[in-house]
Amino acid sequence: MNVLISGGCKNGKTGFALKTADRLACGKNKYYVATMIPCDDEDRDRINRHIAERADMGFKTLEVSRNIGSCIEMAGENGTFLIDSITALLLNEMFSFNNREAENVEGTKNDEGTEDSNGTENNEAVARCIRGLKKILEKARNAVFVTDYIYSDAVRYDAVTENYRASLAAIDRFLAKECDVVIELCAGARFEHKGGF
Amino acid sequence: MIFIIGGAYQGKLEYAKGKYSLSSGQIFTCTEDKNIEFGLRCIYNIQEYTLYCVRNGIDALKVFKEKHDAWQDSILICEDIFCGVVPLGKDMRDWRDMTGKLCSYLSSEAESVTRIFCGLEQKLK
Repeated sequence: MNVLISGGCKNGKTGFALKTADRLACGKNKYYVATMIPCDDEDRDRINRHIAERADMGFKTLEVSRNIGSCIEMAGENGTFLIDSITALLLNEMFSFNNREAENVEGTKNDEGTEDSNGTENNEAVARCIRGLKKILEKARNAVFVTDYIYSDAVRYDAVTENYRASLAAIDRFLAKECDVVIELCAGARFEHKGGF
Repeated sequence: MIFIIGGAYQGKLEYAKGKYSLSSGQIFTCTEDKNIEFGLRCIYNIQEYTLYCVRNGIDALKVFKEKHDAWQDSILICEDIFCGVVPLGKDMRDWRDMTGKLCSYLSSEAESVTRIFCGLEQKLK
């Protein structure tokens, strides 16, 4: 079974995703695929909190910041994978490790009318992410994907940020289509947009 | 009137095109630098029209109320811009305000309200 979990930040998405992956694994191998590359102490604190949260749950941690499909080779096909998060994965795929400079910021314009708002997707980064995610969807026994809902505020962002938002949304829509279950968390409460447990 | 709302890039227009078999010629796309035109089957990106209104001293809600007959059989699509922190700039605050008031009105007038989340429909009304 494949599950997409979205919602605003600080809603308990990771905690809920851990419980979901644990349940789906039924005692078999389960992997926490950490995508974030820590940049400062705040990031490191956050990572340590997440490590403590799953300490006694029996997850094996895989650190995969790009080329997300490689977690299948690292672990084998029969595992349950928790990918946390798509948000960080795309960031790593769009920006280089060292200087975080934007790659292909302008992106490629979509066919007219297929996109909401004014941003354009970074097609190459989106394609790289989707290629890896497809592999997980096809090969993993179960997969749980965590993403962030960053689409409902009254801000006119710069082109780089708009490009990132449009790209993340394209991946979210792909996963929502492919997954059996799509859940939005709000203040820890959940809304099932598709499927259910 | 059918009202569709959702965050940026959630696939609102794609959903409407599929569900109501809309062709490009039936869609009026609002932008922040031009006035709205009623009459086409679908009016898209209404939040861009409200930004145009804020910048030109127009009351969008009043316009929609006055033109009620012109859009009552239309599909109206607006972006949900209501979940962030209060914007620092006054025009952005006014924009959020005006869009919110208009959305509440359209929502109450609509025969159906649908929120689009990651391309999936969520029936609100």
